Amino acid sequence: MTGSTATGETTTSDGAARPRQLAMVFDLNKCMGCQTCSIACKVLWTREEGEEHHWWMSVNTQPGLGTPKDWESMGGGWRDGQPVPGHQPTRAEFGGGWKFNHQDVMFGGKGRQTHLQPVDTGDGTTRWGMNWDEDQGGGTYPNSYYFYLPRLCNHCTHPVCVSACPSGAMYKRAEDGVVLRDETVCQGARFCMEACPYKKISFNYVRGVAQHCIACFPRLEAGVAPACARQCPGRLVFVGDAADPHGPIHRLVHDWQVALPLHEEYGTGPNIFYVPPLSPARLNDDFSIDEETPRIPPEYLESLFGPRVHAALDRLRSELATVRSGGTSELLDTLIVYHWNELFGPYTTDPSTLDRSPERVAVQLGPTANRSS
Amino acid sequence: MVSLTLSDLSGAADPGDPADPAWAGVPAVTVPLAPVPVDAQPNAYIRASWADRPYGRTPTADVAAATVGDRLLLRLSWEGSGEAPGEFPDACGALFPGGQGPALPATMGSAEEPVTLWQWRDRTEAQQQAQPAARHLVARGPGVFRPAAGGGELSAAALRTGGRWAVVLSGPRDVLGDDARVAVAVWDGPSDERAGIGAVSAEWAAVVR
Ligand code: SF4
Ligand code: SF4
Repeated sequence: MTGSTATGETTTSDGAARPRQLAMVFDLNKCMGCQTCSIACKVLWTREEGEEHHWWMSVNTQPGLGTPKDWESMGGGWRDGQPVPGHQPTRAEFGGGWKFNHQDVMFGGKGRQTHLQPVDTGDGTTRWGMNWDEDQGGGTYPNSYYFYLPRLCNHCTHPVCVSACPSGAMYKRAEDGVVLRDETVCQGARFCMEACPYKKISFNYVRGVAQHCIACFPRLEAGVAPACARQCPGRLVFVGDAADPHGPIHRLVHDWQVALPLHEEYGTGPNIFYVPPLSPARLNDDFSIDEETPRIPPEYLESLFGPRVHAALDRLRSELATVRSGGTSELLDTLIVYHWNELFGPYTTDPSTLDRSPERVAVQLGPTANRSS
Repeated sequence: MVSLTLSDLSGAADPGDPADPAWAGVPAVTVPLAPVPVDAQPNAYIRASWADRPYGRTPTADVAAATVGDRLLLRLSWEGSGEAPGEFPDACGALFPGGQGPALPATMGSAEEPVTLWQWRDRTEAQQQAQPAARHLVARGPGVFRPAAGGGELSAAALRTGGRWAVVLSGPRDVLGDDARVAVAVWDGPSDERAGIGAVSAEWAAVVR
C-alpha cells in the first residue's frame, strides 16, 4: 500500500518514507509537436503585459538550437557540488513576443506593398522565437530526422536557481517539491536565470520580476493535472508523485528505466523525464533498408539523455518485438494509455466540475485569476 | 568621515527635479565608491560567477542633501560607463543604518545589522506603470534585499545629460534616525551590475543638520 503522512511524505510498500515530488514523464514517441501544451500554458498563465515572449512550456524540434537560442551552451547547474556560472539569456536570445504590422496591412492601405510580418524593433527579438527552427532537424536526405522535445521547468531536486537567488524569493515547497518564486520578494536580479542550466526562467521586463513554470500549483491543489498535460492531444504526459512505487512514473523511470532526465549531467536532479524516441531504419545509398541502424543517431540521443538511453531504446524495441510476435507488454500498455486518467496520478479532477464562479476563483488565485483553460 | 550638510529647499520650485536650479546652491560632496567585496556576496553561485569579473565600475558619486519639511532629498550624480545598454538598468541607491548599524556600508548591511535602502532604477514609462522606478528596501547583505514594510512614500526623478546621471531620491526624513548617516551605491547596468554586484561608499557620510 501507498499512503501519505502529515509531513508531506509518501510511505511506500517497503515502509520507506520519501518526500513527495511532483514529476512528469513525456513519451517522445507520441509527441507530434502540435504545441497544444505550450498554448495551454500561455493562455492560462502568460497573457499579461511583459509576458508576451514567455513560453514556460516550449516545444522545440531536435536537433536544434532551441529556446532560448542555443540554451545548451549557456552553462549553469552544478558540478562537483559547486554551482557553475551561466550566461544570462537575453531578450533577443528568447526572441518572440512580436508585434505585427496589422495596421499597415489591414487598414493602412499598404496591403499591396507589404505583407503581414513582425515589426522589427531593432533589438534582435524578431530574429528568433520559440520553435524558430521547427522541423529543420538533422541528417541529410534520405536520412533526415527530427523529433519534438517539450520542455518546462524540471522542478529539480537540487534547484540551483533557488541557491543562486540572493533575496530568498525562490523556494522548493515541501508538500510536492514544486519550485516557486515569491514575486513580491523577487528583485529582478536574475541570477536564477543564469544558474538554471535548462534556461527555463523568463524575465518580465515590465514588472521587473523573473517568472517560470509554477507547475499549475493552484490546479494541483484542486486535484487537477497541469494544463500542458491535461490538454495534450497525444495523451503522452504522465503526472504524479515520483516516489509512489505503484505509479506509472516510478515504474517508467525506476523499474523499466525507459524514462530518462534531460541532461542529467547538469546536476540539478530534474523531475521531468522523457521516453526517448525510436526512429525508422536508415536507408543505404541504394535505398535499401539498413535495419540495424536507427535514423536518429544514438550518439545524438546520448548527448541529451545520457548513456542509459541505449538500454532504454533496447528495452522499448524488445517489448515491441514481444508484442509483434503475439506476446503482451505491461510497459507498452502503460505507454499506450488506454484510459486517459491513467496519466494523471492523483490529479484526475475535471476542472469543469470545480466551482469556477468569479468570486471563488478570485479567492483562490488572487488578482490575476481572470483566466480560463 | 565625509559630512553632508542638509540645505533647506523649501523655497525651491521643484526640488524633486534634479534640474531644479536650487540644487546649484546645495554643496555636493564627492564620495569614493568601491566594489562590494566578492567574498561577501550571499551565495556560492554569485561568488563563483563574479570572482574573475570586474564590477563596481563607478569610482565616485557626487551627493547633495536637502530637506523640504519632513522630506529628505538626496541628489546623486555620477558618470555612467557609457557602454551600450544591456539586460540590466543603471541604478543608484542610498543606504541608511538607522540606529547603530554596521560600522561600514561595504556589505550593504547584514542579517544582524540590516540597513534601509532607497533604490532608483532606470525604468521606462511603461515599466513605471507596473513598478515605480524608486523602491524602498531593507538590505541584509549584498543583494539580500526585501521590500520594506511601510517606510513611507518614496519618489525619484532622474536626468541623463550625455553620459552623466543625476537622480533625486525623496523620502521621509525620519529615515535618518538618531545617528544621521548615509552611504550611496551605484550599479552600472551595461556591466550587468545589480543586487550585490555594484559599487558602494567605502564609509558612511555623516548628515549634518
Ligand atoms: S529547471 Fe531550472 S528553474 Fe526549474 S528548478 Fe531546475 S534549475 Fe530551477
Ligand atoms: S501537446 Fe502533447 S503532442 Fe502536442 S506538442 Fe505538447 S507534448 Fe507534444
